[in-house]
Amino acid sequence: MLSAEMLASAIRLAVPVIITAVGAIYSERSGVINIGLEGMMIAGCFTGAAVAFYAGPYAGILAAVAAGAFFALIHAVASVHFRVDQIVSGVAINILAYGVVRFSSLSIFKMATTTPHVDCLPKVTIPGLAAVPWLEPLVSKVSPLIFLAFLLIPFTAWVMNRTVFGLRLRSVGEHPLAAETLGVNVYLMKYCGVLISGALAGLSGAYLSIEHTQMYVEGMTQGLGFIALAAMIFGNWMPLGAMWAGLLFGFAQALSLRVVTEAVPYQFIKMVPYILTIVVLAGFVRRSRAPAAVGVPYERGEAA
Amino acid sequence: MTETRTETREETQKETRQTPVRRPRGPRRKYALLDLAAPVLAVLFAMAVASVALLVIGKNPLAVYGTMFAFSFGRLDSVAAILYKATPLIFSGLAVAVGFRAKLFNIGVEGQYLIGAFCASWVGFAVKGLPAAVHLPLVVLAGALGGALWALVPIWLKVKRGVHEVISTIMLNHTAFLLLHYLIADVFMDKTQVIVGGAGSPRVRMPLMEPTALMPKLHGLAALIGVDLPSHSSLNWMLVFGILLAAGLWYLVWRTPFGVELRAVGHNPDAAEAAGINPSAVYFKTFLMSGAIAGLVGLSDLIGHFGYLDIDFPRGYGFTGIAVALVARNNSLGIILAALLFGFLSRGGLGIQVLEKVPMETYVILQGLIILTIVVFWEVIRRYVRARQKREEASADAQC
Repeated sequence: MLSAEMLASAIRLAVPVIITAVGAIYSERSGVINIGLEGMMIAGCFTGAAVAFYAGPYAGILAAVAAGAFFALIHAVASVHFRVDQIVSGVAINILAYGVVRFSSLSIFKMATTTPHVDCLPKVTIPGLAAVPWLEPLVSKVSPLIFLAFLLIPFTAWVMNRTVFGLRLRSVGEHPLAAETLGVNVYLMKYCGVLISGALAGLSGAYLSIEHTQMYVEGMTQGLGFIALAAMIFGNWMPLGAMWAGLLFGFAQALSLRVVTEAVPYQFIKMVPYILTIVVLAGFVRRSRAPAAVGVPYERGEAA
Repeated sequence: MTETRTETREETQKETRQTPVRRPRGPRRKYALLDLAAPVLAVLFAMAVASVALLVIGKNPLAVYGTMFAFSFGRLDSVAAILYKATPLIFSGLAVAVGFRAKLFNIGVEGQYLIGAFCASWVGFAVKGLPAAVHLPLVVLAGALGGALWALVPIWLKVKRGVHEVISTIMLNHTAFLLLHYLIADVFMDKTQVIVGGAGSPRVRMPLMEPTALMPKLHGLAALIGVDLPSHSSLNWMLVFGILLAAGLWYLVWRTPFGVELRAVGHNPDAAEAAGINPSAVYFKTFLMSGAIAGLVGLSDLIGHFGYLDIDFPRGYGFTGIAVALVARNNSLGIILAALLFGFLSRGGLGIQVLEKVPMETYVILQGLIILTIVVFWEVIRRYVRARQKREEASADAQC
């Protein structure tokens, strides 16, 4: 059961969760809950596939990142500037993104639920390792975005722990008033956090539609944005933790796809990621520590 | 203890008598007008933003919105359709609003009403030989129980394990749909369907419900007030039930001890706990109540129109319910009005799809935009009112 193919499949399924969960870290560390990740992923999926159809995969990926960031900008304006409830704003983003995507899909392709087939990025094969038989499925013909996803982990850890930007971002999520007193631009940091999370959610959407399925299919995100949020919580707001959590989800899904039998109806197999998310949260949420000021709108000069 | 309390009350009374009233009533009423204007402005603003999408696809927004109105209010059966579409939204709006009052975010209405509809449908076809006066209430009760049952998991997880209800309910929405798919397609699929003309395939649906399980239509009531409802209208007594439920919930929230506890916990759970209220118990009861109401959301369609549960049962009422509750600010009367508004938008969306060839998803876009603009507007108004009050207080202080 634990073959290299299985592992490769788990990684392919884990990548969208990992990329989105890493994005969620930027947003949550700056103190903004981003429930709208699902909608930003949907926007990334469709925009990526639609632009890739006309202008190729590279343009598609860039457009998907921009689409995710665009919806994140709406979320940032509403929740940082206007200080509305971050969960309400996120839910609205999800509904809005779904509506905009269906509207665009119907208007551009005259189909509500799919786009035509699109080309993906050229696959990468690592020359030396591909010769090893056991490693072959893992290192040959792999989407370059998978490597990018795994590079994001150490990069994000470095940004959060070793750079001025990361320190400021975290300080804003822990104690915005103290941060502002020390001269940190709280709003700017929150905008950065939310926009990065949206851009990464868009990238994750592009991975799904351009790289994984090579077309947009309605409902292809299937709650992955929320699962990514859960992975981030499970991973204790750390990139490495989010990676392991993402891999766990990918592994569970890859496993469930391989045990399709007559005994277990496929609907129950499709429930696995959702049930796993709930179980993981129920088991671990108490042990993890959220940024102190997450979800609390910050008002400039309120203390005065 | 009692003595000191009366003392302080006397003191405060003295204080109010001596110092000029800090927040005069007049301006407050002026601000209340602002509160009423906000939903209207938000809808207009959302329509203006949605115009951009219409312009992009080369349509004239004014013509599209004009068609929306003309189509929706042009004929009596269209007005009846608005009321019919508003019916499930009253229930979903109330379900979300009850949760909001205690600061619980029930995004799970979507899954809860699917499970509720399944339970109601099961009681509707499996229980036979009862008079309608017994069977119908049983069906409605089954719907409420199903919804409450599906709400039990997230609230238990929240109270006992600290899992935020938003993520758990979203996961349970997906699970509910898959479970429903399994129950309809694999377990209770009606194998006795006769295919007319021998062509095509049978519908993926549960057996037909007994006639005694179906909700009577509103034609009789409409005739009493001199309205001749078209015979094809599915408008049914669930609408009246929804309005009565709205009134009942208003009473519960504002006129009962439990309502006080609910609002206290929603306002500040720590303070409520200090005052001797058990927030966990209130969360539990409120969320189960929200789930029970959610279980009724699908019943207007199920027992007022289809008479069976199939795989294409309408979805999305739960999310629209969030918009309804927000626009109405959890107010019962407001929820009825907001449900009518979204009923109109939904009906109008159909109209522009048929007549103007504009995707009816315009309705979904409007829904998202209205949620966003309304919460931004409330916030802007809150700030404006607070700034005005500060200025008034400052000028009052200066006069003293």
